[in-house]
Amino acid sequence: MTPQRESRVDPITLGLIRNTLSSVADEMANTVIRTAYSTVIRDCMDFSTALCDREGRMISQGVTIPFQLGSIPFALESTLNKYRGRVRPGDVFIMNDPFDGGIHLPDIFIFQPVFQQDSLVGFSAVVAHHLDVGGRVPGSAACDNTEIFQEGLRLPPLKLYEEGRPSESIFQILEKNVRVPVMTLGDIRAKLSACRTGEKGLLKLVDRYGSEVLDRYYEELLDLTERVVRAEIRSWPDGEYVFEDYLDNDGVDAGTIPLKVKLSVRGDSLEIDFTGSSPQVKGGINSPFPFTVSCCGYAVRSMMRADIPNTSGFFRPLEVIAPEASILNPVMPAASSMRGVVGFRLSDALFGALAQVLPDRVPAAGEGGNSLILIGGYRKGRDPFVMFDLVAGTWGARPDKDANDGLTNPGAVISNIPAELMELEYPVRLEQYALATDSGGAGRYRGGLAVVRDWRYTGEEPANLTIRSDRREHLPYGLYGGQPGTGSMSILNPGRKDERTLPTMVTETMQPGELIRHIQPGGGGWGDPMSRDAEAVRQDVLDGKVSAEAARESYGVVLRAGSLEIDWEATGKLRDG
Amino acid sequence: MRIGIDIGGTFTDIVCVTPDGTLLVRKVPSTPDDYSRSVLESLPGLFAEAGSGPGQVQEVIHGTTVATNALLQGSGARTALITTQGFRDVLELRRIRMPELYNWDWDKPPDLVPRRLRREVRERVDAQGRVIHPIDSRQAEQAIEEIADTGIESLAVCLINSYANPEHEERLADLVRQRLPELPLSLSSRILREVREYERTATTVVNAYVLPIVQRYVRSLQAAFTRLGMGAPLLIMQSNGGVMTAEACRRQPVYIIESGPAAGVIASRELARRMNLDNVITFDMGGTTAKASIIEEGALQIAAEYEVGSSLSSVSRLIKGGGHLIRIPAIDVAEVGAGGGSIAWRDAGGALNIGPRSAGASPGPVCYDQGGTEATITDANLLLGYINPEGLVGGGLPLNRRKAEQALAEQVAEPLGLDLIEAAYGVHLLANSTMIRAVRAVSTERGRDLREAVLFAFGGSGPIHACGMAGSLEMSRAVVPQHPGLFSAFGLLSADIEHHRVQTCYQDSRTADLERLNRLMERMESEVRQLLEEEGFAGDEIRILRKADLRYSGQSFELSLPVPDGPLDAGAIRRLEQAFDEEHQKTYGHRAREGEAYTLVNLRLIGRVAQRRSLLGDGEPAAAPRAARSCRRAYFGPGQGWMECPLPARTDLRNPRQGPLLIDEFDTTIVVPPGWQARCDGSGNLSLRLADPSGEGRRPGKVLP
Repeated sequence: MTPQRESRVDPITLGLIRNTLSSVADEMANTVIRTAYSTVIRDCMDFSTALCDREGRMISQGVTIPFQLGSIPFALESTLNKYRGRVRPGDVFIMNDPFDGGIHLPDIFIFQPVFQQDSLVGFSAVVAHHLDVGGRVPGSAACDNTEIFQEGLRLPPLKLYEEGRPSESIFQILEKNVRVPVMTLGDIRAKLSACRTGEKGLLKLVDRYGSEVLDRYYEELLDLTERVVRAEIRSWPDGEYVFEDYLDNDGVDAGTIPLKVKLSVRGDSLEIDFTGSSPQVKGGINSPFPFTVSCCGYAVRSMMRADIPNTSGFFRPLEVIAPEASILNPVMPAASSMRGVVGFRLSDALFGALAQVLPDRVPAAGEGGNSLILIGGYRKGRDPFVMFDLVAGTWGARPDKDANDGLTNPGAVISNIPAELMELEYPVRLEQYALATDSGGAGRYRGGLAVVRDWRYTGEEPANLTIRSDRREHLPYGLYGGQPGTGSMSILNPGRKDERTLPTMVTETMQPGELIRHIQPGGGGWGDPMSRDAEAVRQDVLDGKVSAEAARESYGVVLRAGSLEIDWEATGKLRDG
Repeated sequence: MRIGIDIGGTFTDIVCVTPDGTLLVRKVPSTPDDYSRSVLESLPGLFAEAGSGPGQVQEVIHGTTVATNALLQGSGARTALITTQGFRDVLELRRIRMPELYNWDWDKPPDLVPRRLRREVRERVDAQGRVIHPIDSRQAEQAIEEIADTGIESLAVCLINSYANPEHEERLADLVRQRLPELPLSLSSRILREVREYERTATTVVNAYVLPIVQRYVRSLQAAFTRLGMGAPLLIMQSNGGVMTAEACRRQPVYIIESGPAAGVIASRELARRMNLDNVITFDMGGTTAKASIIEEGALQIAAEYEVGSSLSSVSRLIKGGGHLIRIPAIDVAEVGAGGGSIAWRDAGGALNIGPRSAGASPGPVCYDQGGTEATITDANLLLGYINPEGLVGGGLPLNRRKAEQALAEQVAEPLGLDLIEAAYGVHLLANSTMIRAVRAVSTERGRDLREAVLFAFGGSGPIHACGMAGSLEMSRAVVPQHPGLFSAFGLLSADIEHHRVQTCYQDSRTADLERLNRLMERMESEVRQLLEEEGFAGDEIRILRKADLRYSGQSFELSLPVPDGPLDAGAIRRLEQAFDEEHQKTYGHRAREGEAYTLVNLRLIGRVAQRRSLLGDGEPAAAPRAARSCRRAYFGPGQGWMECPLPARTDLRNPRQGPLLIDEFDTTIVVPPGWQARCDGSGNLSLRLADPSGEGRRPGKVLP
């Protein structure tokens, strides 16, 4: 064998290594799902698993939540910057500081360096959203937090295990600073267990191929990812594309928050520039820069057709610019626990720009992210509870077909929590979970219907109610003539004398027996509604998704009362006139 | 005489055991226009060969895809659904999740009940089963009236919290029967008494949706048997590996959805028992998919739920939402889109991938010369010398090697800059690594160590890949049963009668209401006993198995543990907790600390009647016809290169013989690579062992030079 031959990378072995890496990352994810305690992790899959090479570059990610796609390399890099030369077998790192590579306090990263004898061969990584990390309110996340100090326990990169010995200090500090330690620590145990699964998988690979050969293949995997992404971008028309989307407010200071993006397609690379977006805000919705980059990665990747390996090579052709001290790159002491909503909105803005590059691919705006409803307090006997419910989601219409009604935002592929399980575990009764008629933006292709959910609080003492929602004033946009979807709404005690409309961002008290209804935004439509197939409009009316009135008003389709047959003559008049 | 009939989309397999133990088999093309036709046409010949008649048939056991096909093709009954007010859209909202990331083109599977056929009634029961709002009968009657005019053929009812109190569903059933006495009715509280409204609704709707189809199918099959003069009872394979009578199946067809894949695993369990093997991985590789399951300490692994119709392209089983969810216990079978017909393709980055697109049976692989143009796994296997070039199925289908070479050269070798044979070997290895994900899903992803397990390989392509798969999985033993292409059908002859029940109880184990738990268990037991007695089984034939699903309080996934006989008392609960700790440790590598709370989520009960069992391998295998040639060249990777392989028949291997060997059979070839040895046991099963566990066969992932 000549040395030249030896350094060759063959595509078959590459395929085998790639299969193994994704299989191990999935196995790690499975371990987390099955052993985690909190609802966020287990049902919403708000976590990611990954394997990294010895330099901390991500070579595989478990298929879970796209918004965390790019976050692991940032966090690991900042950990390694601090501990370079001091990483030893048996160490495990923990961190969550958004000013040191993290993405907000509830997302705690765990990194386990993997050693073969004394030589570092890679890292096993897990990040997950924890139900509670302490702070001012149950669940830690509140839009009216104004400083990071209110948001819970802040962990710079630390050694949770040092050469195999658990750090009693960190474990005790964790235990004393979170509301439901059994849950938070249980989740951390699940992550440690997943890291061990990753370690085993990496070591098996090293055993089979040897660490030097693997380095070569990891490098190739990163290069391959980059090549695929560049090839795709090269097929897009060069140019600068501008779009602006908005958040209604930050829950503290009133006022519209603009997110402005300029997308530049230059040959085989992209520049995403958020200059001109809002300065950082008081409310806890600031998006730490690593999170901003992750969300951009998600939006760009969603519009690519190729099958792209889950590695950090994806980000090489992308440059993200967000001015320091802006809402997309905040500085101390900005609060960020509720930054998810900004993540969704900046993706919406970027999709708006992408729709000009790829008009036949990009859908109209969906619901704009999940709404968070949190009811927390104490049962009899000071037994604390935190009901954390994410309401998701609905899609915008697509350039060639209707939206999906009631389906998770692909940015955060979450799952709902069964009403029956909520009723078993918390003092609440779910009284409605449904699609709202006429909430989807009209268009040649219809936007998705909004999701409605009602919770009645059945406890005995007043509880805290927190709502994070948006898109009441600034509606999910339609594209190419499509109408926007309806706005979000939260109503306390609908139908009762004391019925009251609540703002989009809420932190207040809920009395026993009260009912909170949240209606999510509907998705935007695509294309001129007057050009929608009249029969499709009629089918929507038959299914109660569009009312007969809206069929006439928005679509110009007239149905005969009773039979619901199309009145072609009247329809023709409305549509042509 | 007992007959097993496995009707699949392409082939109908029939196996028959005569009273003197003789085994007769048939493999004939299926007749999708009327599936009973292929059976009816084959049986007379089979009777003649057996020297007996239809009157001697004691029972017919049947595996069928009729229910799955109705789901996949959307050809089920026009079905309506009644829900609690406020929950009309539970079925459509599903778990809100999608199975793919970054894919805005994805569509939810179509609802089995369109929104216009979903009606709400005013009523409410709470999680403890207490009535909060009594059912509004007048409004319910009105809802029934509305759907009565829509021409529906089946009705599902699923009310919130009905698992805790079925009163309102039963009341609705009465109202429906008054107005629509003939309408088939599926009540969630009779099908699945388990918490989680979407899962229960979806399962009940699937039952309602396939029920009229399955009823017609079973009736026509029974009528056909009667015409033939066969009065024997018809039993049908369930997804859980047990069989049920045709009558029970007509009420709860949701139990037979995965009838087909279950049979192969049941056959494996029976063979494992006969060979005294505790831990087995089953590996069934056909034309379009590979399926794997695990048998552990002789027991099947049962999954609490599964989906039908989710795309095979999502390799991960993590994210659900792609198909129609069915929460009925089923043998945990993982499936990946890699079979003999799976196509090799290059992605945009130039990496080689296998499947899930398949050339299927038509046009089939390029080498079948029936119009296929894309290189498949079978084409690669042919070039490697693994398949008899004179043709599959005993020479009935000659293979075109030149075309396979050309396709593989143009589509794989040249673009990747590889030699033709390196490319073919690469396709073979990548196929293995893709299929390994199915095996991992049922084993290592649940913390199971495979090293002591034995791989059972069957299906048309399984025996070709058996040793390679075993080696990659660090397993040193594989078994290829007789007639690997018909093996699944033999599972039908070795299944027991079973009925499964579940009841959510949801209690903190420390403060559990023991009296209630015992009452729930007793109720399930009497239901199951009554059902079995109605089917004609005597009380002393019936075995009752009990299980409980536990989790640490706060977790959302349970582990199922056996509950010993006798009343559930404090000691029994304590032992259950300890067993849970151990199982949790085994599965996930950790257990909770002392003093942590457990939630007892569900009680489960299985009523079982053991059947007489028979299996292929009871008799001596017939000597195979001599091969025309005595050797064939095959390629075993860059380390060994091309080797001359003897072509013995199975029956020539009474004494162990070292690989490389190629054993050509009627419908497959068994590839024994160098480093492995093969031996045929007295029952005709071929045992394959890694002779030198540190040798080459163990390292199929070795880097090419």
